[in-house]
Amino acid sequence: MPTQRPRRIAAAGLAALAITALLASCAAQSGSADAAATGEPVTGGTLTYLEHQPHTTLYPPQAGFYPNGGIVNNITARLTWQDPESLEIEPWVATEWTVNADATEYTFELRDDVTFSDGTPLDAAAVAKNFDTYGLGNTELGLTISEAINNYASSEVVDADTVTFRFSAPAPGFLQATSTINSGLLSPETLDRTLEEFGAGSSTEIVGSGPFVVAEEEIGTSLRLEAREDYDWAPPSFEHQGRAYLDAIDIVVTPEDSVRIGSLLAGQADAIRYVQAFDEAQVSGAGFEIVAAPTRGVNNSLGLRFTNPLLSDIRVRQALVHGVDAQEIVDTIFTENYPVATSELASTAKGYTDESDALAFDPEHSEELLDEAGWTAGADGIREKDGQRLSLTVYEAKPQPLSKQTLELVSQQLAKIGVELEVKSADAGSYATDILDPLATPLYHSMVGRADNDVIKSQYHTKNRNTLLSNDAELDRLLEAVASEPDPAKRDEASAAVQDYLTEQAYVIPLFEEPQVYGAAQYVHGFTTEAVARPQFYDTWLDKQ
Amino acid sequence: MAYLAHRTAQALIVLAIAFTATFVLLQALPGDAILIKFESPELGLSPEQIADIRASYGADVPPLQQFLHTVAGFVQGDFGYSVQYGTPVHELIGSALPDTLALAGLGFVTAVLLAVALAFLSTLAPFGWLRQALRSLPGLLVSVPVFWLGIVLIQVFSFQLRLVPVIGADPVQALILPVLTLAIPISAPLAQILARSIDEVQLAPFVAVVRAKGAGPARVLWRDVARNALLPAVTIAGVLVGELIGGAVVTETVFGRAGIGRLTEQAVANQDVPVLQAIVILAALVFVVVNLAVDLVYPVLDPRLKRKAVAA
Amino acid sequence: MSADIRTGLLLAWLVVAIVIAWAIVPWLFTGQDPISGVPAEKLQGPSLAHLFGTDAIGRDLFTRVVHGAVHSLSGAFVAVTVGLVAGTLLGVLAGSLGGVVDAAIMRLVDVLLAIPGLLLALSIIILLGFGTVNAAIAVGVGSIAAFARVSRSEVVRVRQSDYVEAAFGSGARLHSVLARHVLPNSLTAVVGLAALQFGTAILAISTLGFLGYGAPPPMPEWGLLIAEGRNYVATSWWLTVLPGLVVVVVVLSANRISQSLGRSR
Repeated sequence: MPTQRPRRIAAAGLAALAITALLASCAAQSGSADAAATGEPVTGGTLTYLEHQPHTTLYPPQAGFYPNGGIVNNITARLTWQDPESLEIEPWVATEWTVNADATEYTFELRDDVTFSDGTPLDAAAVAKNFDTYGLGNTELGLTISEAINNYASSEVVDADTVTFRFSAPAPGFLQATSTINSGLLSPETLDRTLEEFGAGSSTEIVGSGPFVVAEEEIGTSLRLEAREDYDWAPPSFEHQGRAYLDAIDIVVTPEDSVRIGSLLAGQADAIRYVQAFDEAQVSGAGFEIVAAPTRGVNNSLGLRFTNPLLSDIRVRQALVHGVDAQEIVDTIFTENYPVATSELASTAKGYTDESDALAFDPEHSEELLDEAGWTAGADGIREKDGQRLSLTVYEAKPQPLSKQTLELVSQQLAKIGVELEVKSADAGSYATDILDPLATPLYHSMVGRADNDVIKSQYHTKNRNTLLSNDAELDRLLEAVASEPDPAKRDEASAAVQDYLTEQAYVIPLFEEPQVYGAAQYVHGFTTEAVARPQFYDTWLDKQ
Repeated sequence: MAYLAHRTAQALIVLAIAFTATFVLLQALPGDAILIKFESPELGLSPEQIADIRASYGADVPPLQQFLHTVAGFVQGDFGYSVQYGTPVHELIGSALPDTLALAGLGFVTAVLLAVALAFLSTLAPFGWLRQALRSLPGLLVSVPVFWLGIVLIQVFSFQLRLVPVIGADPVQALILPVLTLAIPISAPLAQILARSIDEVQLAPFVAVVRAKGAGPARVLWRDVARNALLPAVTIAGVLVGELIGGAVVTETVFGRAGIGRLTEQAVANQDVPVLQAIVILAALVFVVVNLAVDLVYPVLDPRLKRKAVAA
Repeated sequence: MSADIRTGLLLAWLVVAIVIAWAIVPWLFTGQDPISGVPAEKLQGPSLAHLFGTDAIGRDLFTRVVHGAVHSLSGAFVAVTVGLVAGTLLGVLAGSLGGVVDAAIMRLVDVLLAIPGLLLALSIIILLGFGTVNAAIAVGVGSIAAFARVSRSEVVRVRQSDYVEAAFGSGARLHSVLARHVLPNSLTAVVGLAALQFGTAILAISTLGFLGYGAPPPMPEWGLLIAEGRNYVATSWWLTVLPGLVVVVVVLSANRISQSLGRSR
């Protein structure tokens, strides 16, 4: 038997060091994209686009999940188009529309040249069936109601190109709702499918009306979108008409962050979704483009479930709001693409009002409030009252960017004012159970994007997402006012009233305005997003040679 | 023949218990697939609607009834539908299985080749220090987490040296790094066993005789070690099946590949019981078949063990 | 031969001793806070002030590794204990009682091997909740089968040996033969396996962290440090490489000790 066993450990150490050196050199990676001047768009080519997670369903009302939305946005046309900059609603499949004075009746005139990808015409009857499904749901098929549509009552096909929708109460958000991906127009036959039949594995059978169709699918790993040659109904405001420039898009699911970024930088992929904040410098430093699109909705924030006894005292909630330093969170974990929150809504959202003064970081004030509320410092620095520790729990929220690091930092900050915040991770089953219980989840980390005043109702109303698990009738009343006020100016006032109320009651700790961050090679042109940051491949073209 | 019948009966018992035990275990988990899929606040479903959905999946009856229903389905070859995807389970598994078989099969072959190469080189290579370095390699390779190895291989060979793409690779290229990731940790213990048997052979008296007759060391080793090497390889083949599946989960996740491993991991996360029951049956089947094969092949390879009790 | 082997073994034991000291008296090795860092000093490379650099929210990585030792070691310890106790018990019962009991126990062991290990481990974690100890139990359950098989075959081997036959021949009862002859003589192989499993358990817990079933924050468990640091592999290599090296050295040492224990019989 050879003799030098001890050196084996030493040699192993050396080999490991060699790997270290190789890895260290990875840090200094050079860029590859050639800077091409923007010329005439080129038709043709395939874009390789890396997704972070596999999509789950193509049923439009459930397309809020980004991987779903990225596909639905490209395979469906909508009645209207919302300009991502001005947020104005413009014609798309509908050429014009009328709304009655109290916003309970909408009539749309349709283009007569639009077809679904199976060749059937997109007419008033098809549109009526779409909105009957999205507005009322279909229990038999398991199809759910779209959260973007409120108070929907019925549709009426006036003639082949005219359709009227009626509402049981004013629905001022409906016009914007017709522009969202949740209202993507599908063929009437597709809408006879059950919810399961919209799921992954049957994507190629979903018949839409957009510039692309799903041509191939490998469950959970990849999906190929191909351009429709006969697509000729882009929103009239677009400079580009006719078919999409790209021939196809290969959507490849690449869950590993380092692999997604590395593939882009090494030229194996053309564009990727979900560039983590800590990778942004690496991507732009190598000469690649970062596209950070705002989501224009309720900010990334912590909801304080006031039905939890520890949070029933407003002074405790106020102390928490003033005890969190959102600026430090952004400076430490994020980049300038993640603006510090100045209200419950993003500053780019509709109906935003500035609440920054009332939300300011002020730990001394927090300590005063807690003293006043009778919480005094215990042996380990955590406050106590009647033998109970001021100890709260929050779950890491997998959909939020860097949720764990964010919550760990919040926990550090709150520890300084004597509040313990336990950050938990859980499997999907325990998470789904616990987030519905204010005792198990007193703080809830979430956000929601939609470019309409209704977004705040989606997040907080007891009949919608109800992220606060609220029992506050006043809050519901204020939210309903937002969803039912037909006059745009008064609607903004109603939004402001909700934000004032949330701040006053200290129901929410807003952290930052969440963007969707994409990375793309320099030869990728015209990569844009719709109003809430879903990728829009219609205008995208490649300048590779 | 009686031996074979006996073993088959044992295998069926193992299958039945594995199936039942998994069902009980999955029932005990908090929440269920329907809750995970439909209770998300985003969908805004009322408790009544969720109860309706549960009824439509047949998930509103007592567990025993569900169990009997599932067993009846499996016996008839009906594995049901995935709750998460809504796709028939046999379709999901059918599309994932070939990928995993290719990965695991090539992984196993590569592991054996790597191990043999490593064992021979660490004995025959010139320079003591080189042999030492090669000998220390297996110890190092079993001390590294598989996911870490995969990420390092990608960083170095795909992103730095740009030898093989990870994205947009053809089917052959797409297998190179994943197969290595899977094979390297498995090859390490095998290489250690081989190196040890080479040492033993080299010290054997007959080797000196053969050498004196002018045979090169490589020829001696090849002839005598090859036979000795087969035995440990077959012995651990049964154990390796489990490791290949475990390694496949991580490899498939790192490389974003479709396959049984990733399907398993996602099905557990979403508590997709029909998928998991089918996977358990599949895995248990592979396990009993491989073990039966190993037990049958073993006496053939090693005459000493012929017909000696090799039970369990 | 022996001098060098002893040096190697000594080195391995030294590594283990240091790591155990980290677990018991971490404050002797570092004066910094493993839970709260200085956010402004985030993602700094290794330096004298921060031997292993700092993480994304400015915590000293070396401090986290040192304070993580207690979680990782106790995790590995629990994992090995679960496998060792349950597995050996099953194996010894099967091997010494034989017959129907043997067949029943070994079928049970087959079932444990037949169910995919990952499915079993993840389900146990979901059932027990996230945490190092629970992850360790899940890993330990997965090793029961290996322990049961090894201990059974050792017990069978020892039982068939002449002196045990002789002990039975001289009229001794089963349990006294078991206690006096069979167990002591069959345990060395099991102990060797236990040392080997110790390294394997640390890796397995790390893999669970990679799959998202690791210890809850802010616990600095090693496996989780490697798993979470991997996202920074191209920008801040130290976050995954340095804790990874620590694990490599510890696992190598555990395996080295396992070899020496295995050989000593």
